[in-house]
Amino acid sequence: MNLHNLKKHFPWMTLVLLALFVGILDPNFLRLENLIDLAGDISTLFIMALGITFVIYIGSIDLSAQSVANMITVLATLLLVHIGAFAAPVCIAIGALFGFVSGLVSTRFKVPSFIATLAVGGIALSVGQYASGQKALYMDATLREQAFGWMIGTTAGLPREMIIALVLLVVALVIERRTVLGRALKAIGAGEPAAVASGLQVNRYKMIAFAISGAFAAMAGLLFSVKLSGGSPVMANGFLLPAIVAVLVGGTPLTGGVGGVLNTFIGALIVAVIRTSMLYLNVPATAQQIFFGLVLVGAIAITIDRTKVRTVK
Amino acid sequence: MPNLSFRGGDLQRWAPLLVLVALVVFFSMVNPNFFSLKNFARIGISATPPLMIAVGATFIIIMGSIDLSMEGAVAVCAVVFASIFMALGGTLGGWGWLALPACLLVGAACGLVTGAVHVGLRIPSFMASLSMGFVGIGLSLMMTGGDRIRVEDPLFRSLLTQRFLGFPLMVHVAFVVLLFAWFIQSKTTLGRNFYAVGGGEDLAHASGLNVRRVRIAGFALAGVFYAFGALFAVAQLGIAETATGYNFMFVSITSIVVGGTALWGGSGGVWNTLVGVLIVNVINNGMIVMGLPRYVQDGVLGLLVIIAVVLSTDRKSLAFVK
Repeated sequence: MNLHNLKKHFPWMTLVLLALFVGILDPNFLRLENLIDLAGDISTLFIMALGITFVIYIGSIDLSAQSVANMITVLATLLLVHIGAFAAPVCIAIGALFGFVSGLVSTRFKVPSFIATLAVGGIALSVGQYASGQKALYMDATLREQAFGWMIGTTAGLPREMIIALVLLVVALVIERRTVLGRALKAIGAGEPAAVASGLQVNRYKMIAFAISGAFAAMAGLLFSVKLSGGSPVMANGFLLPAIVAVLVGGTPLTGGVGGVLNTFIGALIVAVIRTSMLYLNVPATAQQIFFGLVLVGAIAITIDRTKVRTVK
Repeated sequence: MPNLSFRGGDLQRWAPLLVLVALVVFFSMVNPNFFSLKNFARIGISATPPLMIAVGATFIIIMGSIDLSMEGAVAVCAVVFASIFMALGGTLGGWGWLALPACLLVGAACGLVTGAVHVGLRIPSFMASLSMGFVGIGLSLMMTGGDRIRVEDPLFRSLLTQRFLGFPLMVHVAFVVLLFAWFIQSKTTLGRNFYAVGGGEDLAHASGLNVRRVRIAGFALAGVFYAFGALFAVAQLGIAETATGYNFMFVSITSIVVGGTALWGGSGGVWNTLVGVLIVNVINNGMIVMGLPRYVQDGVLGLLVIIAVVLSTDRKSLAFVK
């Protein structure tokens, strides 16, 4: 087994080694309850990362996910009062719409995806600030319990948000592995010119990938706002970096084509373990950002497929 | 000054300036208060820090790369400047002036690191710089512990408080820095090399240019201008903190693109960026004068950048875009 074959096993090996390392530092870490808490805490971030995976899988990037999630925390809180549980599908549709617009701008107008999503993120930020009146909003406890009570609490000892995240993982996995869409995205990620040449509706599939990312970002925002019982246009700040780190550390390279949502699952767990280990090692929260920034650089450098980028701009 | 005339003619070249004039005329008609020296001075003040940052990033976009690290770099520069400044007596009258060159050096160092990560590890500049921007924000948070550092030296604040010809000193200083940037862009080998790399990296490489070195130099140079932006931002508010850098990324990239510097590199320049920054700030100011809330700005900027990129793109020349 040479290095190249080994490369795809890096992510889970990293995860196991990290977990053992932290386990040696503090044996309590490996207790089941602690591991479940860990997984529960990372659920929201993981859902956002799941969506971003689809966009990175086709070799693009989505920098708007955090802004969309921010906006959705506000909209969900506002909509809950008027339409109750229907706020959920509406929020997801709005998220998908924003993602779709990013995809539209990126494909039809040939604007690079990082600029297109940055711009759409700016619009989402504006909407969130406008709708909230630039202040934090709170959900009515009874309404929240009625409409979204099922999202919080535990079932059989497992946090509900973790179960939701796992269900969404399965949905994403089915899309990726068992649908025409999944195949098409793989083809686009593996080699876009070839996908175009073989008659694939590349632009349409790319727009769908962006829409999926927007929808998942919205679900992350919705879950987060239910969890914290409110919304604000800055609530999900700090999600973007670890979410992208989760995708890349999991082994989906910036150039796309390989990896996928299962990799992101492992990547999100790696992020969770790193976060926890930093608590044990007394690393201040601010330093985490520095560390994740460096991890991101490292992960990109290791995973990127340099045969696909002729000149690195 | 290089132009865009080979694709789109003179109209495309002058379009940003025409848009600026049209906006000024429009807002003046909506509210006559807009067209006054007092209001122009206000626009000048708000445009100064983003102008410096956008000018720095212009060099990078001319090379066909992009820099998204400015929020982190500006935060680090501002915090380091304020810390040194206060440690050395807290006034420009004493040894505190040493903090000014130190700040510029820190800016250059930030850019150098970003450039080295991008070129050395061969990863796309938008991700390299985004990551380093996060690192910068983390660094500045660590240095301040989330606190604000007050810089109240009247001599330093005179950048804002002293006026000359109706405009604060910082506007005049910024104009001198802009002339310096123009000099680098058009009269130095380094400036020409930016256009060479942006116009076609393979060709630049084939003609013996050390493309990697030019790229790193470009990022370091941009860092110096981010440091100028940080200095003006601190002078404006009298406060240095991590939030000093917030929002500069979006505003500066929008300004550059709106000014007519194409994202693909090889065209545009610092005068385009001046026009772009003025367009963005005139719109912001005009919306406030018209009574629209401040937060509409991000949405408008988002639309602007999309429109500007679309208009400036020669789409036939692009096979596909990631």
